[in-house]
Amino acid sequence: MDFAFNQDQQLLKSSARAFLDEHCQSALVRALGDDPRGESEAMWKDMAQLGWLGLALPETYGGSGLGMVETAIVLEEMGRAAYPGPYFPTMLAAGAVALAGSAEQKSRWLPAIATGSARATVAFLDAQLDWEPSASATGAAKTAGGWTLTGAKHFVPWAHVADVLLVPARGPEGLSLFLVDPAAPGLKLTPVTGMDLGTRWTSLALDGVPVRADALLGDSGQAAALLARLLRRGAVGAAAEMLGAARRCLDMSVAYAKVREQFGQPIGSFQAIRHRCAEMLLEVENSHAATYYAAWAIDAGAEDEALAASVAKAYVGEAARRVCGEAIQVHGGIGFTWEYDLHLYFKRAKALEPMYGDADYHRELIVRHVAG
Amino acid sequence: MDLSYSPEDLAFRADVRRWFEANTPRHELGTLDERKTWHRQLYDAGHVGMGWPRQYGGRGATPMQQAIVADEMARVNAPPTINGLGIGIVGPTIIVHGTEAQKQRYLKKILAAEELWCQLYSEPNAGSDLASLKTRADDKGEHFEVTGQKIWTSGGLIADWGLLLARTDPTVPKHKGISCFLLNMRQPGVEVRPLKQITGSAHFSEVFMTEARVEKSDLIGRLGQGWEIAQTTLSYERGGNSLARVTRYASAVNQLVKAARELSRGGRPLIDDPLVRTKMGRIYAELEVQRYAALRVLSALQKGEAPGPASSITKLSYSEFEKRMHELAQEILGPWGQVTAGAPDDFSEVDTSSGEPGTWATAFLWSRAGTIYAGSSEIQKNVIGERVLGLPKEPRADRTKA
Repeated sequence: MDFAFNQDQQLLKSSARAFLDEHCQSALVRALGDDPRGESEAMWKDMAQLGWLGLALPETYGGSGLGMVETAIVLEEMGRAAYPGPYFPTMLAAGAVALAGSAEQKSRWLPAIATGSARATVAFLDAQLDWEPSASATGAAKTAGGWTLTGAKHFVPWAHVADVLLVPARGPEGLSLFLVDPAAPGLKLTPVTGMDLGTRWTSLALDGVPVRADALLGDSGQAAALLARLLRRGAVGAAAEMLGAARRCLDMSVAYAKVREQFGQPIGSFQAIRHRCAEMLLEVENSHAATYYAAWAIDAGAEDEALAASVAKAYVGEAARRVCGEAIQVHGGIGFTWEYDLHLYFKRAKALEPMYGDADYHRELIVRHVAG
Repeated sequence: MDLSYSPEDLAFRADVRRWFEANTPRHELGTLDERKTWHRQLYDAGHVGMGWPRQYGGRGATPMQQAIVADEMARVNAPPTINGLGIGIVGPTIIVHGTEAQKQRYLKKILAAEELWCQLYSEPNAGSDLASLKTRADDKGEHFEVTGQKIWTSGGLIADWGLLLARTDPTVPKHKGISCFLLNMRQPGVEVRPLKQITGSAHFSEVFMTEARVEKSDLIGRLGQGWEIAQTTLSYERGGNSLARVTRYASAVNQLVKAARELSRGGRPLIDDPLVRTKMGRIYAELEVQRYAALRVLSALQKGEAPGPASSITKLSYSEFEKRMHELAQEILGPWGQVTAGAPDDFSEVDTSSGEPGTWATAFLWSRAGTIYAGSSEIQKNVIGERVLGLPKEPRADRTKA
């Protein structure tokens, strides 16, 4: 029993911190906020060099064969830096290919992703914004050479830079998952701008998009379980990023409370501020425990894996909301200004709160575990 | 990072589980003698003072083994040891700060519950501000003479001895004038009066000391070292029992789920009511987070890391959670939650973390105590703010004033 990171994990964490501190400063995050693409190609290549893009991919396909704990370590640091880019959606999609893909699909995508030459994403949500995989309403009709997909997908992260989209759709045999070329005929991508500078969403309109038979990921009609697994990884990854954003907000608040003086003393000496910061720390530490317990449970295939993922998302989502919000309160007016960086992290946490199931959705899953 | 239990831990747990399944008393222990007999049985089986060094009668057990025993006791709702304060606080204080003679004289009897102990710290005007305590211990040459009043003394009525904080020098700043003593409770100068809590029972007492005698040899550490000793003592009270606590919470939540199947609102079982489910999901998530956090603490202890001020986070976290959990229990149970006698089985007994067995009503009432005892939530937040986050202290007049 060891809850602490091992040496390799500590090394990964400190190198991620150092890399992002140097290459992903707030000035870059702000600049990329105005950039149509929204991410840095140079940083993506660097991340490939660092081995982050193949972190959890099989070694036979150029990855490092590590797991969700290591992915969460990198994501926490990315949340801390409000990193803008398709890292996590790409990892999630690559994980799906690694889990369910054919040898050809793996060879086509995994080495390309690990070396930084391909990006990918998963289109979970239909127009109803229901995270329950079985609620997917996009349709898949069989054709001679494969399928055609018709429907709409929303809030697909970083689809505008992706080389492949994972699209769940319902066919005669049930829910299936398809690898879709973003340039396919009948597919229209519309960017959606959110308040977080480093989050990019796209709406997909699928109007009879043809895909070949070999675009099917896994068996036809059998995607529900795979999607549930991806959703769990998504939930834990989002928790890790929100944790990083929350800890950044806490650190900034504590630093500010030590130097900001009112009534002749640092405001951190007032219990109204000190107690607030103590409560923030409590929620951050609990969020750490929840995130990494769940990440470990996924890697270990623990029997409470699904429960732990829902607990992490439900708990950390609300904790990060409170911690980042309280950080603005501790800072006062300066925390509400555009030029001060706090809002970058506040918005990052907010952007992830509804993703991969919000707290209410996961609380319902939790109750199903407990009470049926 | 690896959160699986080692094969040794699993084997140890299996042994311990068998022992408790075979030996746990089937009826409630009524008398003090029955409780002492049970304690003795636990002691003989090696389940008492497990973390104490072997040379003082302990087992030198790992934190994980201690947590497993406590957890297995919680699982079968076994009655607790009788000398909890002696074993958890007094003994470790003597081990760390006591003389060899004190160790020989007291430790074995604490483990075997031959002598029962209480803690004489809080006073009517010294609660959160413990260092302002007024009980005096005057040097009479051959012995000390103690006069003053203590309050909130758990187990005071059955205690043979007390770990006492008293002022030995009123002329220096308050934290520096306190000393720590071992006080014989069985003497004419010590009067113990039960103090009834809001639960109706008298778990606590008030202790009045009038020229009570303390031998010179029963001073712990140096004169004036009492505050420093008390700080380490308080730390023993935090963080240790964490797995067992979560097991008791889980047992209560599971009972709550059962109750929510039987009660209904608007013709629908409560367990199917979306509002109830959301609230239940929230509490269960928090419960699981308590479990993960407990494992994290345990893993640090296992590596020999001192819990330190971060244990204030644990204490703040679980005690505030316990209040929320019992507030939800009351919402779900309605008036059954308030019943102290006459409830059917489904709505009566519940495990509590307080040590006082009982009903949902007593458990609910007890949940109000957790955020006060052993340093209130406000004190924990001060500790976290100052000693974990390094925020500046509030200007305090009493730091320098005598």
